Amino acid sequence: MEYNGSAVVAMVGKNCVAIATDKRLGQRALTVDMGFEKVAPVTDNIYIGLAGLATDVMTLHDRFRMRVNLYKHREERTIEPKTFSNMVSHMLYERRFGPYFVEPVIAGLEKNGQPFICSMDLIGCINYADDFVVAGTAADNLFGMCESLWEPDLGPEELFETVSQAMLNAVDRDSMSGWGAVVHILTPEGVITRELKGRMD
Amino acid sequence: MTTLKPGEVNLGTTIMAVKFDGGVVIAADSRTSTGTYVANRVTDKLTKVEELIYCCRSGSAADTQAVADIVKYHLDLYTSQHGEMPTVKVAASLFQEICYQNKNNLSAWIIVAGWDKQTGGDVFEIPIGGSLHRPEFAIAGSGSSYISGFCDKSYRPGMSKEECVEFAKNAVGLAITRDGSSGGVIRLAVITKDGVERQVVYGNELPAQYTG
Repeated sequence: MEYNGSAVVAMVGKNCVAIATDKRLGQRALTVDMGFEKVAPVTDNIYIGLAGLATDVMTLHDRFRMRVNLYKHREERTIEPKTFSNMVSHMLYERRFGPYFVEPVIAGLEKNGQPFICSMDLIGCINYADDFVVAGTAADNLFGMCESLWEPDLGPEELFETVSQAMLNAVDRDSMSGWGAVVHILTPEGVITRELKGRMD
Repeated sequence: MTTLKPGEVNLGTTIMAVKFDGGVVIAADSRTSTGTYVANRVTDKLTKVEELIYCCRSGSAADTQAVADIVKYHLDLYTSQHGEMPTVKVAASLFQEICYQNKNNLSAWIIVAGWDKQTGGDVFEIPIGGSLHRPEFAIAGSGSSYISGFCDKSYRPGMSKEECVEFAKNAVGLAITRDGSSGGVIRLAVITKDGVERQVVYGNELPAQYTG
């Protein structure tokens, strides 16, 4: 899980959610790519970030896309965040004895506008939270930053500042993550995506 | 990478020293890591062992600190007994003796550089195992493998002090970007007969680089 390095965090705000990841792709100590996408949109209202082994991150993003498209064809509607998280959990547990080495973090807005976040371990145990969830090699650092910086009912702009500071300062203390970061803020009006300029070390 | 004991603090690093006419320029990053955690992000890896002789430390933080302390003690005694400053060669030789005789218990890759009356600027390198080398410029640490090509291409004999400083900043900066075990700020020191000028280069002051 530490081979490629990653940092993922999601936070709940007032009628909005944020999800942020770093951009490093490493091979142990060597940095190979500084623009590796770890978070992908699942629907307009759900984003999933995957920390862990990069090859599994890439494969799972493709598998989720296929399953969500199939769901849409069968159900004739887009999938909701809680349902999607259960689908991810099921897909991971299917591989209980030969798992994907990833830790998913899901952020979304329910149909009624209610914010939703959750994280999972590599075999699909879901952790629902009403404040924040973290994953990756910088998880411990992110826990510390979020615990001190987060407060309830932050608006989209305040949430952006909070999640950005949590991410930037957490990855500065982790040699396996960093090299830039990307933040997505999901609001009922749409998604605001911003790139963070951070230390490239 | 290196053979550290579990939990031992690692100076996975980029360090270098370049000789010029009149002295040496030494440079290092500032990251100390325990596993993936960055234990110190503003470390000083340029350690004084005599007024005009410094060592650049990489490998195990504990081992290199211990060795440098012992060499400092011996050089202090040398100065008292001889009434004059030791040469850089003497300092390097002391480092070599300790590193070679204790090779099974140490994890240290050290660069010794400074100024003395006999030779002017001088650079020595002592890799793992305890051999002694005297190149025109030396690079060491886990980050050095990423800049070997850059250094071989950029170095020219007879560079001025300012050119050596730019060379060091560029090289260490490139290694910091690619090596996960190197990071933080770049600490530089210019050692001449007039003394030691230290400087710090922060991340936003680095020479321009492609970062994707």
